[in-house]
Amino acid sequence: MLEFLSHISLSSLLQQILVGLSRTTILFIVASGLSLVLGVLRIPNLAHGSFYMIGAFLTYSVAAAVGGKAGFWVALAAAPLGVALISLVMERGLFCHLYDREHLMLLLFTFSFTLVFGDIVKIIWGSDFRSISTPAVFQGSLAVFGLPLPRYNVFLLVIGPLVALGLWVLTQKTKIGKIARAAAVDREMVGAVGINVSLVFSAVFVIGCFLAGLGGALVAPTQNITQGMDHSIIMEAFLIVIVGGLGNIWGALLGALIFGLTDAIGILLWPQFAIVFPYAVVVTILMIRPKGLLKSTW
Amino acid sequence: MKKSFWMVVCGMLFISLTAAPLIAADPIKVGIVDCYTGPPSTYTNDVRDAFKLATDKINAKGGVLGRKIEFTTRDSKFKVDLGLSAAKELIMREKVNLLMGTINSAEALAISDLCKTEKIPLLVTFSKSDAITGEKGHRYVFSMNENTSMAGKAAAVALSKKPYTRYWIGGDDYEYGHAIADGVWQNLKKLKPGVELLGQTWWKVGESDFTPYITAMLSAKPDAVIIATGGKNCVPFLKAAETTEFNKRVPFYMHTATELSTLQPLGLDAPEGVLGTSNYFFYYPETPENKEFVKEFQQAFGRPPKVGALYGYITAAFIAKAYEKAGTIDTEKFIDALEGMTVDSPVGKLTIRPYDHQVMLPMYMGVTQKAPGYDFLIASDIVTISGEDAMPSIEEIKKARGQ
Amino acid sequence: MGIGLLFLFLPRFLPRFYVYLTALILLTGLLATSLNLVLGFGGMYQFHHALFYGIGAYSLALMLTKSVLPAWTGFVVAPLVSAGMGYVIGLICVRLSKLYFGMLQISLGSLVWAIVFRWYSFTGGDDGIHGIPLPKMLSASHGAYYFTLVVTAISLFLMYRIVHSPFGRTFQAIRDNPERCEAIGIHVRQHQLAGEVIAGFFAGVAGTLFVTVEASVFPDLMFWTLSLEILIMCLLGGWFTFFGPMLGAAIMVTLRTFVGIYTEYWTLILGIVLMLLIFFMPDGVLGKILKSRAQATEARG
Repeated sequence: MLEFLSHISLSSLLQQILVGLSRTTILFIVASGLSLVLGVLRIPNLAHGSFYMIGAFLTYSVAAAVGGKAGFWVALAAAPLGVALISLVMERGLFCHLYDREHLMLLLFTFSFTLVFGDIVKIIWGSDFRSISTPAVFQGSLAVFGLPLPRYNVFLLVIGPLVALGLWVLTQKTKIGKIARAAAVDREMVGAVGINVSLVFSAVFVIGCFLAGLGGALVAPTQNITQGMDHSIIMEAFLIVIVGGLGNIWGALLGALIFGLTDAIGILLWPQFAIVFPYAVVVTILMIRPKGLLKSTW
Repeated sequence: MKKSFWMVVCGMLFISLTAAPLIAADPIKVGIVDCYTGPPSTYTNDVRDAFKLATDKINAKGGVLGRKIEFTTRDSKFKVDLGLSAAKELIMREKVNLLMGTINSAEALAISDLCKTEKIPLLVTFSKSDAITGEKGHRYVFSMNENTSMAGKAAAVALSKKPYTRYWIGGDDYEYGHAIADGVWQNLKKLKPGVELLGQTWWKVGESDFTPYITAMLSAKPDAVIIATGGKNCVPFLKAAETTEFNKRVPFYMHTATELSTLQPLGLDAPEGVLGTSNYFFYYPETPENKEFVKEFQQAFGRPPKVGALYGYITAAFIAKAYEKAGTIDTEKFIDALEGMTVDSPVGKLTIRPYDHQVMLPMYMGVTQKAPGYDFLIASDIVTISGEDAMPSIEEIKKARGQ
Repeated sequence: MGIGLLFLFLPRFLPRFYVYLTALILLTGLLATSLNLVLGFGGMYQFHHALFYGIGAYSLALMLTKSVLPAWTGFVVAPLVSAGMGYVIGLICVRLSKLYFGMLQISLGSLVWAIVFRWYSFTGGDDGIHGIPLPKMLSASHGAYYFTLVVTAISLFLMYRIVHSPFGRTFQAIRDNPERCEAIGIHVRQHQLAGEVIAGFFAGVAGTLFVTVEASVFPDLMFWTLSLEILIMCLLGGWFTFFGPMLGAAIMVTLRTFVGIYTEYWTLILGIVLMLLIFFMPDGVLGKILKSRAQATEARG
């Protein structure tokens, strides 16, 4: 094992940490959306991964349609909104009638959506690999500590905290945020005070799915857009949310940080066992603090 | 009255005599089990489409032994249990004469075993595990494409001629990834004993972000890197290589890097200077057979053929010629005819080696490069390694099978 | 009684493929029923039940291919290994409840899956193990089917007895009100652990049946997506009933097989069917049937 450590210098370690941090942005954005829905509506939304995937595919289509330099930026604005619209239709049309059902039945319902969305995406976009280029302004890389860090990753490093800040403002400072937080803890009380709990749930659900779509839009230039994206992200997102504490935005950030960093550092230090790392970390944390690291709303 | 009665009788007799040859015999049924969902489908669609193109042509000329070749597909969605179940359904319910498929090596091995028990021939398309015709080979399984041993040997031949000595290996952490890395490395060590392996990095299949792995590999400063990715990761890895400028900082080799299936999705965003082995290019060699094939495929499906199309096409050619030679649809005689059979193909004459039922496909080693007139990268400096040179020796196969 | 005879004489009048399919449905139904022991009757969020199934299948496969012990010992040992795994996982997870229990189980199970996936020299890695040699009696024409039928019938009988035993009743009481049970002196955690072990055991039995029918094992058998599928089968069929999961398994397997013949978009069809069922049959198919029967007798009475 020692020969692996011999090529690691401080600069490569620092560089790897930065890479890990830029990955946490996407993980955080997706996980925060899931955490919101889970915390307030108490629904484990398996279709969250599907919205992420749809966000990526929509970004591809809009960017291809608009074309040129502006393509990606228009897509970045439009795709999450598109996803939010779809989630609104899904929620108002079908979901809201099921809120009083058993948890597991809701889980099953969201699962049936993953099946449906999965095939719909295949029908609309076909099953080929799709790829979009990084926007021109972000192409190339910066030399950080002597090693290349893609400029787009730097962009992600900036966006992440911005979104976190935005969510914090939304949940702590706005009226709807406060109502949502109250509803997470005690929905009957909120209803008794005269607020339409159903509409609150709707808003939270849509915001959560918007975040999933945003995650998908942001990840689109960095990897291939394919079916199966929904499966790979949903497990990671759930684990992050559990580790961080259900319904807790900062918990989602913390969980995403842990995931992204341990993954990146593990790759550097023990490349042979990288596949096991995330699970081992999650298991350890859950055994020490089963309810997650930060306060949960459950 | 009598006259018209006899006229009717004669007429009916005449019709029945001439109609008899028009009633076709039962068709030859082929069942294809493969993954048509998600990333693998970009490869498997070509196999099915070229197979259809070839069988349509054969059927138009009267079919094989007076029978049409028909096929039906089942989507296994890359799940072994679904593939195995579908294979059973095709054999027991559809009563197919032979099976074709699949891109998932584990599935191919499972179905191969089923076919051994059921005595139905399996023509493997796309799975590259060398266990299929090697360790786990048997009378009823044939491989229509290259395997990891062959690709590894071909790559080693090319790499041994380069000045690199200090290597790093990075790849998908599953059987295929390790097999192709082993195939390249073991053969390279034999050809150039001075090479040194500095270390290895393995990531999960379906890994979405390669940046941390790439930066880790770069920090080790190897002369060259062997990238052992499978179908799901080839395209994403190349994309990451381009964005991190990995290809500019260290030369690397990847099996199928020069193939259209890998390069087309990336368009002009693919990295240049990547070494790769491949079985087929629609633009090389510029023989009449290849040009004809490309024209037909392009006309039928509106896109140039990728390597999967070659596999699908030759499978149809082998099936037709073997049945013709056997003179009957009896399975055992079909297999006897297929062993050692040679067909014409867009890449020249291809033969199935009788001992292990492996098609001896030539491998092409090339380097990715932008070229005018194409909106994707193509291979340049192409070197051909003949099928015979790339094949593992029969002694190696015997050893693998424990004989 | 009539149904029993039907199953017994199935191979006489059904073509080979349908016999195979019935065997597959039986063992999948057994697996789903074993999950429902802890899910429906125990109220535990068992999110990675497939782990025990896969462990049972792999244990038998490894014993049949790598050891020189007689084949029948494998059939006995494999479910015990699954039960043992149930004990270990249970020990770690029962301290938690609901969603946390489920997520920790998924994490632990995924860890085991990763090891099996990677350990090529021992488990065959992601290639799996194929061509597993089975005792002559089982590989003979319908041997696999009859064996599956007998084992499934016995297992179902045993599980039924357990559910309706004092232990089973306590178990269900724990599902309905764990605090109350603690208060009256019932060791909730111990009962749940016992439930895990039993459920794991029968999942292991289902795993051995899989090896009997397919003669193959691969890591997919313990992947979390399969766990989700088994969960769906229970919910679909009716998780408050005993035979619901069996029905759910039958529905899923037949839909998958037959819709798959006509279209590659069978997951879309399955998704829509599931949605409709959830809306109109919240207690699952069997649940709905039983409920309407109960309402009918009430109306008459």
